[in-house]
Amino acid sequence: MTARLSEQATGQARLAPAEHARTRRSPRRWFDFNQTLKGSQRLLLGSLGWLGFFLLWQITSQMELAPDRLYPGPAAVFGSLWELFAEKNFLSDVLSSVTRIVLSFAIAVLIALPIGLLMGSFARVDGVLNPLLGAWRYLPAPAFIPLLLMWLGTGDTQKITLLLMGVVFFLVIMLADVTRQTPKVLIETAKTLGGGRRTTLWTVVFRHSLPGYVDTCRQMLAVSWTYLVIAEIVAATDGIGAMMMRAKRFVHVDDIMAGIVTIGVLGLLFDVLFRLLYRTCFPYLGRGHS
Amino acid sequence: MPYISSPASKAALKAGLSVTGVSKEFQSRGRTVQALDDITLALPAGKVGVLLGPSGCGKSTLLRMVAGLEQPSAGNICLNDRMVDQPGRDRGMVFQDYTSFPWLSVRENVAYGLEINRDRDALNEGTVDHFIRAVGLEKFTDAYPHQLSGGMRQRVAIARTLANYPELLLMDEPFGALDPETRWQMQDLLLDVVRKERTTVLVVSHDIEEALYLGDTVFFLSRHPGRLKEIIDTGFKAALPSGDREAFLQSDDYRRLELHIRRLMRDEGRNAA
Repeated sequence: MTARLSEQATGQARLAPAEHARTRRSPRRWFDFNQTLKGSQRLLLGSLGWLGFFLLWQITSQMELAPDRLYPGPAAVFGSLWELFAEKNFLSDVLSSVTRIVLSFAIAVLIALPIGLLMGSFARVDGVLNPLLGAWRYLPAPAFIPLLLMWLGTGDTQKITLLLMGVVFFLVIMLADVTRQTPKVLIETAKTLGGGRRTTLWTVVFRHSLPGYVDTCRQMLAVSWTYLVIAEIVAATDGIGAMMMRAKRFVHVDDIMAGIVTIGVLGLLFDVLFRLLYRTCFPYLGRGHS
Repeated sequence: MPYISSPASKAALKAGLSVTGVSKEFQSRGRTVQALDDITLALPAGKVGVLLGPSGCGKSTLLRMVAGLEQPSAGNICLNDRMVDQPGRDRGMVFQDYTSFPWLSVRENVAYGLEINRDRDALNEGTVDHFIRAVGLEKFTDAYPHQLSGGMRQRVAIARTLANYPELLLMDEPFGALDPETRWQMQDLLLDVVRKERTTVLVVSHDIEEALYLGDTVFFLSRHPGRLKEIIDTGFKAALPSGDREAFLQSDDYRRLELHIRRLMRDEGRNAA
């Protein structure tokens, strides 16, 4: 080791200054802390991960670990996905699922935002609501399905309520946390410029928290998707989850997997939309700022 | 005295700041800590006062009480014969960390105070542009704070506070985190602007040179508890060419006062040890 090091040192010393600079410029370190990647590099690495996943899936499906019917390969799954859209009117299922998600989430945000804003701003509001809502957060929403079925029947109201209950308590607590992170000094600046409580709440606290709100919503929407299948398994006639349950009855594993793929793709799509919204609405945050 | 909202008449009627018998106690782990003890001082309108003292002497606390952000345990604070009990537009504050609103451009930041007070007249009179020019940021009106340096962001804060026409400008170690060269520039800029606008200013500082350079009057506070130990008048500066820092630093009066305050500071350090 020592021998190689000294060899390197003498080798470098012999280079002309310009060459020396060039060789030093690109130290090849694959793994270092806090590295940042270029967009193209990130895309390449991301594709690499997915490629590996599909390859593994294809190989294991051909190894006959399980019958083809129970463990179809990616080609078969994408084939049935095409078939679902082309022949079995899957689009209307997808649309009713998306409607449920969007509607329930919009209601959740409309409820959670004012409460979270007030909780994060005023200690007395927080004092009353935090112990209450903080506890409700730990009650699993699916546990309320029997109740919801009795109270609301089997229609869309019941499903939307379930989706709503799954996210609204988390959303309130998380939005309150975002609100609380508003720097005290910005609030005091507004006060000494003559800002009253209402003015300070809207022009400083709410405005400062807005990017954080959007980011929190992006993360909670993912949770909403996880409840979708549960909501649509129970007494549903349409939706992605209902299709998957129908497929299960006829052991159409490829259709079930196609449903999973659809949910994944839709979730990703919404995530990208939120990121786009974030970047276009908050240009003042600059790059690499959160 | 009636509240008069026109800036010109405000300047004419200014009577200044008076702090009378102000004390401040904090509760900390069940014990009462006396931060400030019986402070009485007066700052005439149009003058620059500096609160100087070692860290822990409660100078920032006093400034925050004048701003109305904290309440005194005893005594009272009056600005132009009105009691201070909450924050208000008449006492604008510039904080140590450069508190520009990151989501507003330079122009929007400077206009913020006038916007929330719905001061249409001042907005239409070009007040915002006037103060952006006064702090030399006219090339950066549409920039966001994250694109500016620390010194420039502090200029935004000063312009924003002054554009709101406060009767008293409060500053909490406003240039403490800047490099020396920028700090000097900012001190000159501040003096230039407040002299033109005839603003009354109260600055907190722990820097002796800054205190003597900025202040017409320097209030020296001792610590544990914070007491007003000495009031230092810097009238000697009238005889010096204004804005000439070198002449100021080389004057005998400056050297004498600097040494005197340094000794006061040293005594405070001994008491603490």
